[in-house]
Amino acid sequence: MKRLAAVVTLLGLAAATAACSGGSTNKSGGTGGGGGLFTTIDVNRPGLEASAPANPYNPKGNSFPGYSSMKLGWVKNHLTDPNQALPGIAASWEIAPDNSAITLKLQPNAKWSDGKPVTADDVKLSIGIAYTQGSTAFSVTPGAAGAAAEVTVVDPQTVKVTQDMANPSPKFARGVLDTTVLPAHVWSSVLPADFWDKLKAARGEGADAEKAREEITGLGEKVIAFAPPKDVSAGPFVLERVNPSEALLVKNKYFYNAANVAPAQVKFLNYTGNEQIWNYLIAGKLDHAGFTAAPTDVMNRIKQAPGNEVIKGYSPVAVGMAFNQSKKPYDNVHVRRGLAYLIDRDQVTKVASPEGGTPALTTSGIHQKAAQAWIPDTLPKLEQYKPDVAKAEAEFKQAGLVKKDGKWALADGSAWKVSMHAPSGFSDWLSAQENIKSQLVKAGVDAEVVTTADYPLYLEELNAGKYEVGFWLMALGPAPYDIFQRLYGASNGWANVAGKVEHSAPGKNGNWMGGPEEIEVGGQKINPGELTAKLNSSDEAAAKPIMAQLAQAANQDLPVIQLWDYVNTQFVNNSRFTGWPHDDSILRMGTGVLPSGVWIQQGLIKAKQ
Amino acid sequence: MTLIARRLAGHLARGFVMILVVATISFFIINNIPGDPMAARYEKLVEGGMAPEAARQAVKVLYGFQPDGTLWQQYTEFIGGLFRLDLGVSVSRPGTPVLDVLTDAAKWTVLPVLAGTLLSFLVGIILGVYAAIKRTGRLGDALSVSGSLLHGVPQYVLALLLTMIFATLLGVLPADGSVDILYEPGWNAGYLGSLVEHALLPVLTYALSAYGGWILAMKSSVVTVLGDDFILAAELRGMKRSIVFRYIARNAILPLFTMLALSLGLLLGGAVFIEKIFNYPGLGWLLIGAVNDRDYALMGGAFLLITVGTILANIVADLFYTVIDPRVRSGEEVS
Repeated sequence: MKRLAAVVTLLGLAAATAACSGGSTNKSGGTGGGGGLFTTIDVNRPGLEASAPANPYNPKGNSFPGYSSMKLGWVKNHLTDPNQALPGIAASWEIAPDNSAITLKLQPNAKWSDGKPVTADDVKLSIGIAYTQGSTAFSVTPGAAGAAAEVTVVDPQTVKVTQDMANPSPKFARGVLDTTVLPAHVWSSVLPADFWDKLKAARGEGADAEKAREEITGLGEKVIAFAPPKDVSAGPFVLERVNPSEALLVKNKYFYNAANVAPAQVKFLNYTGNEQIWNYLIAGKLDHAGFTAAPTDVMNRIKQAPGNEVIKGYSPVAVGMAFNQSKKPYDNVHVRRGLAYLIDRDQVTKVASPEGGTPALTTSGIHQKAAQAWIPDTLPKLEQYKPDVAKAEAEFKQAGLVKKDGKWALADGSAWKVSMHAPSGFSDWLSAQENIKSQLVKAGVDAEVVTTADYPLYLEELNAGKYEVGFWLMALGPAPYDIFQRLYGASNGWANVAGKVEHSAPGKNGNWMGGPEEIEVGGQKINPGELTAKLNSSDEAAAKPIMAQLAQAANQDLPVIQLWDYVNTQFVNNSRFTGWPHDDSILRMGTGVLPSGVWIQQGLIKAKQ
Repeated sequence: MTLIARRLAGHLARGFVMILVVATISFFIINNIPGDPMAARYEKLVEGGMAPEAARQAVKVLYGFQPDGTLWQQYTEFIGGLFRLDLGVSVSRPGTPVLDVLTDAAKWTVLPVLAGTLLSFLVGIILGVYAAIKRTGRLGDALSVSGSLLHGVPQYVLALLLTMIFATLLGVLPADGSVDILYEPGWNAGYLGSLVEHALLPVLTYALSAYGGWILAMKSSVVTVLGDDFILAAELRGMKRSIVFRYIARNAILPLFTMLALSLGLLLGGAVFIEKIFNYPGLGWLLIGAVNDRDYALMGGAFLLITVGTILANIVADLFYTVIDPRVRSGEEVS
């Protein structure tokens, strides 16, 4: 009886506090139907930090892209045109035919949340601040590809940015559009009055230029630490308050498209790991969450929660089983090919990433969707490496491997074990490796899976050349250079600094892949690193034949076995809001996976009636 | 008073040396943790679509805050900072002093753990006395079994069980966070109610996980006292049961006060799993984030704070014992 009384007392206490907490005069909206409160997470940045400033450059800053912080435009992930974007603070823009300049027209009615208008001076100051951070178009590294040369305020509503054509990039406009716009009347103190002179000096050569660059980098630290007294936003929402568990944003009445912004409030929930996101989704708490890898049973429970929907689209990332070619027997292409014939990629994907990936049709270094757009004629000619034990055996024999008692061994008869590494916590990678291990063992190839404590350690050891085989993200579109630099960039020996390509020997300067500097493709010797670097300044027409050549090189030489291409899987809840886009190009914006603020500000999202 | 002052001075001197030793050990251990946060940040930026050159520059700016100089210079600077209560600047929260981050998080650990510990102590000692007195009956058995059971269940299992019962099945308590952001912070019923509501499950987890230890310790202590001659004498003299009970309780509880003071010393560091499960933003939660971010300054600061808390609790326990136990006092005075 006494224990029963204790339980009853506890439940009574819980009910009393719950009832008490319902009495706040400040609690508006609610999580029930009809819109009002929009609940989400910042999938790009786990862990809310209550004491962090409303500063978009601070890694823990309480500034939320698309909601309270605005960019000039919201760049899309178009398969072949990296410069496509939705309007942000820039209502429209013109890109010069030779890509030498972009002229931006600002939203005519854009205002900050304190009622002051957004002007071209705000944009110019924001670009100055972006220079201190090494933003893509605003790099102070001498000769950096796609760097801006001049920033001109044409009139209070117009800004022109020109590209330094010494080393042009086809995605220069993308870099400009991706700039976060900050209020000059709040942020002007972070840049000195002579900033633009300093920048001019930094673009030169010699000791003065070096000193100027160091000063600008020093300013970068000041920018990151800057704490505005309060959030001043040009976005659809403004930060109201934040505690270690949640952040509350309220509608900005001065936002230029405020009439079409459905939610009155936005609540960001804190999380430190995938499990918490799963719990939020299973409980139906989130109106939107970017993709979080989840095992099949969890995914099924998420789908069962009332109103939950999974939206799938293009994600420019693939995962590959990468080889350290400076280690035997992986220096032999026939070993790599033999393994490719033994691994059933359909099965691996089904086990490891049934919702978040599609099996790579072949192994080309390009995501299959992008490949269809860039190299439609070459794609069908590539070897698909469908599972074929006979072909695998032939390749292994050609590599000199020997089979003893049903097990493959090295040419000298010593044991061979495929040792695969992955960081613990990367559940899909580990599942994939376990599956590959069982497939290989079945085919007579001894294999093991070795976990590393976490991602930073994994990368450090990978770069130090400690692993024979590891997993490696690749095909990072949408720009051609970004796609191939993962295979034929720094990790394989080619450093592309300021447009100059230099090759380091295996084991030196981060070259852990250790591939050959030249490969014969179709009877022609090519240098894949130099070809990749060319992509950095090639337009679409010039890029296509290079990409075809690189895809052939990746397909025959197999620096990695491409396993699956990621699918952009997002979770939305239809109980409270509707209008979710299903268009591939705007499901995943620019450099992040947090588009719902952008969808809201464009007026796509409607409160459910 | 002279005795207490003497003991206090001795403890403080030893505590100071221990803090320096622990600070030194943790500094060198932390600085040898493998894993490059810069490489991880660079990878994330490139994977997110930033050009490699720009990502390199961004990482350079971001980690410009990392201490440079030789390891020895870093160490002397670190120890010098301790004397100024300067624990450095957080790497993952650029521009924010470590001390600010720690004090911000400490309140979310101290209050719930304190509440849970005191609750478990009170319930544990009261039920422990009953378990000892009724040790041959069903009630005594049941209390002892409950103590053994809860003492053996890991904290994280308890936390998950309570979450399942009160958050998932009954749906009466939140299972994550510290307070609902929709309430205006301040002395209003809604905000305070939300604070309590969010703290209930973590506090209950602390209380239940510690309760088993207290009840078993108290039972054992009471059973020992029950066999003492002075209790027998009191009973033979026909003293009231309430007076006998007071004798028992006063003598049996003495060692438990020491345990209580020591367990309070672990307040700051004993909540990692619970804070992780309930997404409760205290020091344990902060420490996990610091390790993931390779925020060396924050890790060092957190370890140091936990060390200082433990040492202070030891000092308080000893002084407390000196005050309440006449045997210690007399022993010291004689010598």
